[in-house]
Amino acid sequence: MILTKQNLMPLLRNLTGAERDVFVPTQVDGVSKFALMDKGTVPDFEQVNTTMPPKDLLFPQTQKMYHFDVDANGSYRIHEYDESREQLVFGIRPCDMRSIVCLDEVFLTKGFVDEFYANAREKLTCVCIGCASAAETCFCASMDVDPQLAPNADVMLQDCGDVYNVIAQTPKGEVEVAAWAPFVEEGVVEPVTCEQSLAVSMEGVVDKLEGMYDHPIWDNLSIKCLNCGTCTYLCPTCHCFDISQDMRRKDGVRFRCWDSCMFSEYTMMAGGHNPRPEKLERVRNRFMHKLNFFERRYGMSLCVGCGRCVEKCPVALDITRLIDDVAAIG
Amino acid sequence: MTAQDTIRARARELLENGEVTTFIGWESGRFENQTTPLVITDASDADKLVCNEYCVNTLAKYARDVVTRGKVGMVVRGCDSRGIVRLINDQVINREDVYLIGVGCAGVRDRKTGELLKKCAECRHGDPVICDEMAGDAAGRPQPSERFKEVHEVELMTQPERSRYFEGVYAKCIRCYACRDVCPCCTCRECFVDQRRENWVGKQNNVAENRFYSLTRVMHIADRCIECGECERACPMGLPLMKLNRKVIKDLNDLFGEFESSMTLDEEPGKLITYDLVDCEEFM
Repeated sequence: MILTKQNLMPLLRNLTGAERDVFVPTQVDGVSKFALMDKGTVPDFEQVNTTMPPKDLLFPQTQKMYHFDVDANGSYRIHEYDESREQLVFGIRPCDMRSIVCLDEVFLTKGFVDEFYANAREKLTCVCIGCASAAETCFCASMDVDPQLAPNADVMLQDCGDVYNVIAQTPKGEVEVAAWAPFVEEGVVEPVTCEQSLAVSMEGVVDKLEGMYDHPIWDNLSIKCLNCGTCTYLCPTCHCFDISQDMRRKDGVRFRCWDSCMFSEYTMMAGGHNPRPEKLERVRNRFMHKLNFFERRYGMSLCVGCGRCVEKCPVALDITRLIDDVAAIG
Repeated sequence: MTAQDTIRARARELLENGEVTTFIGWESGRFENQTTPLVITDASDADKLVCNEYCVNTLAKYARDVVTRGKVGMVVRGCDSRGIVRLINDQVINREDVYLIGVGCAGVRDRKTGELLKKCAECRHGDPVICDEMAGDAAGRPQPSERFKEVHEVELMTQPERSRYFEGVYAKCIRCYACRDVCPCCTCRECFVDQRRENWVGKQNNVAENRFYSLTRVMHIADRCIECGECERACPMGLPLMKLNRKVIKDLNDLFGEFESSMTLDEEPGKLITYDLVDCEEFM
């Protein structure tokens, strides 16, 4: 089936309803992100990647877990939250869909199910739009992502120039596309080939990193790192969080919020010991986690090649240069 | 001989002669017109150094981290040199810890648009305020006339408008702390936001906590801010952070007389850490 680009906005307007929230890539007050679609929203499907990744749809930066108070008899009561709603994200890119594969592994597998994530995940429908062109910093093709494919999307829209190929890929996607009947027509068109100017070779990199824990490369790299959290907060796969609480006299809220392995406080232990005291250990951990540890545990890279960190790092610390440098080591 | 040639030659000599242990400058990045900070220890790396109109990073903060390895050589423009003055006057480093090669700066440009960066359009001192030698000539760029233009714009808002404006600003903040981490005035050994036991600022991301973090930082660097604009440049969300820094500087100017921080090594102690019988006491 195909969807013409002229029909895209009429379809979208038809999709927004009271029973679920629809998120689209757009500019909110100068920040490019996935935001709730309402009457005034102007979606931007031309921009390749939003500045903010879509991960907050599944894993909000701050998420209430429960609140607690003391009743008249002096005993504690716990009130649980489930703020998850039916959500449709329209226009998510293949690299970001791959990031959801990574997040699913972390939050749903190996015997640990994160209920907050699981609830949100179950209620999320993903309509992925393939990329006809790449940003300067895009290198997903080097990270095993096809810019016109996303097997875990419910619906895949391959960019074919003037039209999209519409492919329902899951039972949820079939239900979704069935409701699009007035807007789509029969046919299949050849997708546009997405050319990426940025490419790296991951060949041998995972295994090489295994023996590089004490390599001087980490000092060279970390010396210019500011240790801010930009890369981790803009990364679609970074998923570390901290649990904290807001306390008043007899009640409080327990919440979790994004945390960053770049912060010294992240690994600070009770008693004052910090196993990653300096920038070197923190930078090494971040890149090892992206390119080696995650690969070992889940059989895939934790970098999806979206290029957000490459674009936004205040000191231009570039993961693609690290990959090249590791690959070049004899 | 260009300034870049001189910098490379002098960096090589300084490292070879053992006059410095490390040398800080910039190198080319992967993309066209992109540069990135470079710290070298080996004289044979000196030819990697570049100095051009795309060297966007202010380098001073690195001196703090690298000084533990020995004497630091570095390239300084106006902003970098004022950052170094700041570090010295805050007793984070000593003057003899650094060897400074000055370059005149007419402002740096965005690598994609080719336009002068905002921080450079607002810059009042393109040439180094201290250095040990110059590579090339001073730029002698004229100062922009309106230092507080943006502040006036905010002051013209009504109180509710201003309130809404800053709520919008802080709704965008993701608390990555890039503004703090890039700032040459932010050199506390332990930042108040990392003092979790005291919990000065909550970890949840919301307007109240984001604003509390940001305004506390603004007040803490108030009379020390060198107006390099790095906080605003580094911010991935595009927050107009210099409006706040300049508002405080403008208020200090109004209360205590015109000043600019970090222009000399023998500057008077900060206005907010000293006391004078003639100080304005309008709130008492």
